[in-house]
Amino acid sequence: MFDLLKQACEIATREGCRFADARYLDISKQRIMSRDQALSGCNDSEDSGFGVRVLYQGAWGFASSPNYQAAEVKTVVALAMQIARASARALREDGVNWAPEAALKLNFQSSCERDPFAVSLEEKADLLVSANEIMLQNESVKRAQGYLMFKRVQRWYVNTEGSELHSDVTSSESVIWAIAVGNDDFQERNWKAPSSNRGFDAYDKAEFLLQAERVAAQAEEKLSARISPEGEFDIVTDSENLSLTIHESVGHATELDRVMGYEVSMAGASFVTRDKQGEFQYGSEQVTLMADNTLEHGLATQGFDDDGVPGQRWEIVKDGVFQAYSTGREFAHYIDEQRSRGCSRADHWSSIPIVRIPNLLLMPGKQPLSPDELIADVKHGLYFEGMDSFSIDQWRLNFQFGGNAVWEIKNGKKAGMLKAALYQSRTPTFWNACEATCDANHWQAHGVMNCGKGDPMQIAQMTHGAAPTLFRNIRVCRGRDS
Amino acid sequence: MNRQQCEDLIAGILQTSRAGELQVTLNGVDRLGTRFNDCAISQNALKLQHTLTLSARLGQKKTSLSINRLDDKDLIKRSIEQVFANCAHMPDDKELMPAPGNLIETPEHAFSASAEQIDIDTVGSWVAAACRAGGSANIDLAGLLSIQKMFTAYGDSAGGFAYERSHNCDYHVTASDSHGSGWAEHKGVSLRERDVLRATRRAIEKCSKAQNPVVFQPRPTTVILEPQAVGDLLSIAFWYGFDQRAADEGRSAFSNHDEALGNLSLYSDPANDLFPTLSFSSDGQQLGKSIWLDHGHRQQLVTSRYWAERQALEAKPSPANLILSGDGNNLQKLIESTDDGILVTRFWYIRPTDPKTLGFTGMTRDGTYRIENGIVTHPVVDMRWNDSVLRILKNVIASGIAVATGEFSAMVMPPLKVAAFNFSSLSS
Repeated sequence: MFDLLKQACEIATREGCRFADARYLDISKQRIMSRDQALSGCNDSEDSGFGVRVLYQGAWGFASSPNYQAAEVKTVVALAMQIARASARALREDGVNWAPEAALKLNFQSSCERDPFAVSLEEKADLLVSANEIMLQNESVKRAQGYLMFKRVQRWYVNTEGSELHSDVTSSESVIWAIAVGNDDFQERNWKAPSSNRGFDAYDKAEFLLQAERVAAQAEEKLSARISPEGEFDIVTDSENLSLTIHESVGHATELDRVMGYEVSMAGASFVTRDKQGEFQYGSEQVTLMADNTLEHGLATQGFDDDGVPGQRWEIVKDGVFQAYSTGREFAHYIDEQRSRGCSRADHWSSIPIVRIPNLLLMPGKQPLSPDELIADVKHGLYFEGMDSFSIDQWRLNFQFGGNAVWEIKNGKKAGMLKAALYQSRTPTFWNACEATCDANHWQAHGVMNCGKGDPMQIAQMTHGAAPTLFRNIRVCRGRDS
Repeated sequence: MNRQQCEDLIAGILQTSRAGELQVTLNGVDRLGTRFNDCAISQNALKLQHTLTLSARLGQKKTSLSINRLDDKDLIKRSIEQVFANCAHMPDDKELMPAPGNLIETPEHAFSASAEQIDIDTVGSWVAAACRAGGSANIDLAGLLSIQKMFTAYGDSAGGFAYERSHNCDYHVTASDSHGSGWAEHKGVSLRERDVLRATRRAIEKCSKAQNPVVFQPRPTTVILEPQAVGDLLSIAFWYGFDQRAADEGRSAFSNHDEALGNLSLYSDPANDLFPTLSFSSDGQQLGKSIWLDHGHRQQLVTSRYWAERQALEAKPSPANLILSGDGNNLQKLIESTDDGILVTRFWYIRPTDPKTLGFTGMTRDGTYRIENGIVTHPVVDMRWNDSVLRILKNVIASGIAVATGEFSAMVMPPLKVAAFNFSSLSS
């Protein structure tokens, strides 16, 4: 499979390109959806093709094709060079400063004990429909739904520096949810089986059925929950809820391309300007956020990125202080770093790589601490579980998050459920209000499979992890009038 | 691919398949995309993508399979066999409907002869001209110029067929410096260099008026939402809230809700002059004019064929565009009629907060200004808002002239003047 990619790089070198790389991807996807006692859809897709990126006359050009044949390779390289010439009409003053990287030969395969594409449709249908049937046993539940999604991406990468890389990554995702309908309200409650780079072995029917029963009961309970109070409260977030907050307020904020203005027109910029590196108090001393693109089962663990840089591990925030950005080879020089952090990824063979959030993990507390002990320290507050409404400004400062289920905390214990609760804060205020996070026994990883960035938008995946965590004096508001 | 090529390919596939019912969709897109920031091109790409989707039905079982290689006859043959083989393993779905079998009229409202002629060099030269304008103004420009040349074909074993070409052109640009930012766009099925330069000048002007914003304490306030903000809000509200079955089953903001939502009409029409679209849906249904709100009164919402048959309603597929009627006032007149308010250029990161009330949150972005005594007096710091779309529509005081917009789908929206819009906190 490498031969034609090498040929593309050889042609580019011969034609005077300073750098070129070529990627061939073979992508298989399956998405199975359930609605009550039926499957409402089963969609398979097979998608393959290659893309060639050239740095020519100081400008980037990129072209791609689904036809992986020798003649087409020549055409695509020529087209990429023509596009680079068009790009050269508006060149960056300081040109492209491409961080060096040693030639690498690597073959990466994610762990997949049970190939999801080899599992029968009957078994997958049984998993989803059985969960739906359990949810529908609750009389308040009028709609039960779910889906399973599997993706396998095989990738071959070659560049003009001599790298030859191959990866074979299988990812899985599943969600079930119940919608309860009452006299004058309806409420949804879901359970996400943590998405990961694993196969069907990630799923256990007994767990689905258990969660289905819980989800249905809590959907019903949400119907009669009282509307959230407003004001300043201590809040405790579970690991799933906090994983999205980590993603939005730290992951995106510390992508160096955003800081340098490359995403200004769509995804936005960042308040984490370069002068903050090594000095800025991002959070309290309890906050250490580790980037880890070598994490087992991590969704961003792909062996290497689409600049040909292997996965790495580094601290983005250490003991509350901002340390380092996520970078690609085009961006490392902006912060005088000699090497990329290996975060440049494209979502398709026809897409250009951009800087993406790595697997990003809030490290667990060093002292033994359970969720019950954490909650016991709250006199009046809210406990947020699961992901719900999420929104953050283009500087990654002002954010507002909900929870899929929220409870009031009174005198150190979870009291009744609340609905329409939201917490609203500014990123440094929030993370500096972090008082404690539970120990490693309560730490969990959760996946984000639909991170949108770029223009046109590309979709990426990554894992975030956390233990239940306590934040003091956070503003709580509500999405519905009382 | 032209009509004849698509017709031949689909006919060949339908002929091969004798086991059950088949629906075939062919999509092709050639996308020229040039991205720029800091007045320089950062990404420039040509994307060619073809997708063949086969949806097979055996009795009450259905599956689909997509491939992107249309030149590989063996792969297509294997895919047909595979999709039917998968189908046999599915449980029954009583809601499955047979293929519609419609011969669809395709007037190609969304085809633009001028857009068809645009090539990568043209795109590069237009972006370079925009960048020069930014350089002259000493302002950073960032944005995207994208031209999509598309075809879509559909055929089914009940005799249905449709083929249509279309275009989608998008130029949006953010002008910024360290003291503020402005934004503008041009959307539609065609694009000329003068559209690019006009939007660029508008973004630069917006930026120049957005310098050093001051704090406006967030509170319920009269706002004038420019068309982009209205489009961003209504596109997501429509996606979450405008389904007939959900309304009938108590799972929607429109369940047991008959109150009029102001006086504006919301409808879809593939033949709309400003932002026309394809004439058929991906499952072979004709898209006609559909009215969702008639002078504020809710009409029948998006209705699947299954639900339509069960409830004795007309099927109404998901639309390809949304159009909100306006009163025809120009933006300046709306501003002059406002004693105390906020002018919003665009929104960002709108997400639902409460499906029961169609509650949403979002931020203002790239040009938010104070209006005092009918004049735009100064820029204000961006703000978060939390409000209900039902309430926003009821609180519309006046509206303007609709223009083409839409970040993710085709929208034709006027500016709206809305009372008591709920700003809730400060942004950056």
